[in-house]
Amino acid sequence: MNSKLSAISRHGWIAWGAAAVGFLAAAPALAQQFTGPEYGEFALFGLDRRGAVWIAAQLHLLFAAFVLGVPMFAVVIEAIGMFGGDQRYDKLAKEFTRLLLVAYSATAIWGAILVFFLSTLYPNFWSYLTGIFAPSMWLYAGLFFFESFTLYLYYYGWDAWKKGIAKKFHWGLGIMLNVWGTAVMFIANGWLTYMMSPPEGVTAETAPPQIELWSAINNATWMPINIHRLLANVVFGGAIVGAYAAYRFLTSKTDDERAHYDWMGYTGNFIAIGALIVLPFAGYWLGREIYEFSQTMGITMMGGFMSWLWIIQAFLIGILFLAGNYYLWVGMGRIPGAERFQPYIKWMLLVLVLGVIVWATPNTMIASRDEIAAMGGTHHPFLGVLGVMSAKNTAVNLMILTTFLSFLMYRRANREPVVAWARAATMLQGLAFAVCALVVLAYGIWGYFVEAIVRIGFSVYQVLAVLVTILFVTALDVLMLRGARSRGTIRWGHMPPRSQYALLVLAVTFTWLMGLMGFARSGIRQHWHVYEVIRDTSEQAFTPALGPAATMISICVALFFGLVGMIFWLGGLSEKSADQPSGATAAGTG
Amino acid sequence: MLRTNLKILFTVAMTLAVFTFIANVIPQVQSAVPEEIEIRADMTPDELVGIGETLYFGVGGCTACHGLGTRAPDILGVAGTVCATRNAGQSCKEYLWESLVSPVSYIVEGFQPIMLDQSRLMSQAELWTLVAFLEAQGGEVTVGPDDFASAAAADEAALAAAAEPPPTDPSAVDVMGILNVHCLACHAYGGQGAMVGPPLEELTGRSYEEIERGILEPNADTAAGYEPFAGVMPTYYGDQLAPAELEALIQFLMEGGAPGGSTDGSVGDDAPPGEDRP
Repeated sequence: MNSKLSAISRHGWIAWGAAAVGFLAAAPALAQQFTGPEYGEFALFGLDRRGAVWIAAQLHLLFAAFVLGVPMFAVVIEAIGMFGGDQRYDKLAKEFTRLLLVAYSATAIWGAILVFFLSTLYPNFWSYLTGIFAPSMWLYAGLFFFESFTLYLYYYGWDAWKKGIAKKFHWGLGIMLNVWGTAVMFIANGWLTYMMSPPEGVTAETAPPQIELWSAINNATWMPINIHRLLANVVFGGAIVGAYAAYRFLTSKTDDERAHYDWMGYTGNFIAIGALIVLPFAGYWLGREIYEFSQTMGITMMGGFMSWLWIIQAFLIGILFLAGNYYLWVGMGRIPGAERFQPYIKWMLLVLVLGVIVWATPNTMIASRDEIAAMGGTHHPFLGVLGVMSAKNTAVNLMILTTFLSFLMYRRANREPVVAWARAATMLQGLAFAVCALVVLAYGIWGYFVEAIVRIGFSVYQVLAVLVTILFVTALDVLMLRGARSRGTIRWGHMPPRSQYALLVLAVTFTWLMGLMGFARSGIRQHWHVYEVIRDTSEQAFTPALGPAATMISICVALFFGLVGMIFWLGGLSEKSADQPSGATAAGTG
Repeated sequence: MLRTNLKILFTVAMTLAVFTFIANVIPQVQSAVPEEIEIRADMTPDELVGIGETLYFGVGGCTACHGLGTRAPDILGVAGTVCATRNAGQSCKEYLWESLVSPVSYIVEGFQPIMLDQSRLMSQAELWTLVAFLEAQGGEVTVGPDDFASAAAADEAALAAAAEPPPTDPSAVDVMGILNVHCLACHAYGGQGAMVGPPLEELTGRSYEEIERGILEPNADTAAGYEPFAGVMPTYYGDQLAPAELEALIQFLMEGGAPGGSTDGSVGDDAPPGEDRP
């Protein structure tokens, strides 16, 4: 069965990859000769041409994010196993990589569908893009091949190259897999960011050959999107791996399996939430670059017809924080010694809930006359004061700090430091938390009494205070827990099912959030294919309201999870015939 | 196993349903494609009001301040009633027209003179439809064909001027024309203009680079006292102004008028372009 599935995966991947690559390579020449209608027709499954491209692009992006995110932490986990000598990590990294194989096929299939849709439904615009980006498309196709064959070598060589210099070579393959994948993503990001922020001087009259390739790729939002997507892919990959582990945990028949997938789920959640904490900083950078590129675009994004979108985003991120912390708190039930932290959890929950409420408080929203009257003004008479950035920045920084505290408690739960200065260090950690919270609060309150330009600067100080605290407390914790006594072994697998449903909700929420942010990024172009250069003259040129957009996002996410479910199922079938069941002790102590 | 799979399916489906539901119950705002608006003198009052309403809620950007309570008065439903009571001897139509093209002439108590001269942003025909829409807010629409006849002539003249090729010689640039079209909507000069940005006389004596940067990168610095309007000045003047126009404008501003002390806006033949530039 295993060899059959591998063959299906391999052949499917190569066939679709070859089709896409062949088309990409030929497309520029074909497109240049095209003189047909501006737009093609599509009317299947109740979708129009925009709906078809939306779904194909979203599913391609979701699978691509997964296959780019997972190798990043697979290679890190393999290194932990290799340099630390713990084979459990090596097995885990291999299991992560196994999920990639079928997901690669899905990425290529949806990529090919997207290219075919674009070239047949938007032929003139596709011609325009290929006129500018043709050489980068050829490079993209070449790198795609390198990436796929590196993946095959990486996965199928896992057991063959597992010792000595061969293992290091294998690890090097993992690094190269990431290098190819990152290069592929950066190239594709150049195309889409060109549509958002074309270089200065490009007008509707500028012929594609006159546009320098590098200036088109290296546009104002290219690098911020690159960094934002790199981080988001790690978050997303961790969340999907967590969902896979949750699914396997819930359907496990033995304690051994449950122990293994409990550990895997914890690792996936740790990766997802850990990377999520730094993601907002990349988001700030991207937002600033959008404003610098075009004030109009920035205002459209934050204060125009999309202003309600950010309230939905706050709600979703609130769910992520609450579900992520809930999973950790429930997980502490299987750690001996964690009982001593239980009394603090209700207070941490209170901080998180208050934080979500503040963050989701609307401010300066587009509202009709009746809605404003119903609110009693443009701002709520009591809660309106919480809707401003001073309050929101304070809330989100305190939520990050609280989540970090959850991780710290989880890490400390079954360990007892033996160093003489442990008590002093713990007090110092507590002091660091208190000072950080005070700094964040003080700048938050001060922000109400200064001008906007000064207030924006305060958010940097708040973020720095949190980052410095996280680094300082973590460093102190690592030193303090060297040689720590164990209060007992973590009882991996002893988790109530509700914790696994929290992991599933996390994965769905992350995926939906990616769809929403993709809509925001694409929607701020409004009725332009290329912002203020190439106008969308089709009947779908308008940007839909949040409701219809949300329905499309949900369809995409449902399709994605349907396909991912199939991949998980295939992964399970493959494993049954290939691997021996892992032992309960394999899960270790985390 | 089946039960567990159904529970998983239910969890995913319910999560998606909740998100979709919430996104559908909040106010729905769709970004429409700006339409070409045709305005004719023979339109009925209802048609004029309809176009004015489209502009008011759309590209006119009126709702960015009006109706939000703090920046400008809420005029929906009342503008057509209060307009005749503002200035003695001024008809409702006259007052509304003045409030659009010279908004600082009458400031409602409790508000600041921040509104821009709308004739710099819209055609005269469009402005008359706005007047019609505002009259309809509790009053009677009196805008008629005569108003549009004069508006059409003014708009044609403006279009003809815009169609002329940009000057290449700074000495031939009509700087006061540039000030009128681009600057005085927000800045004051010679007793005219608004107060969204600092008066242009304050730039006298500044260096060429300093003024140039202020025009091309207007949001790099914010003048003291004008922080609430940080980010308002457009960044497109580098594209909109021809090089000769930019050079003439900067020279004009750094010298507090034209070289030689003239303030009529013509740079004059006695000031070779760029001669005394740093």
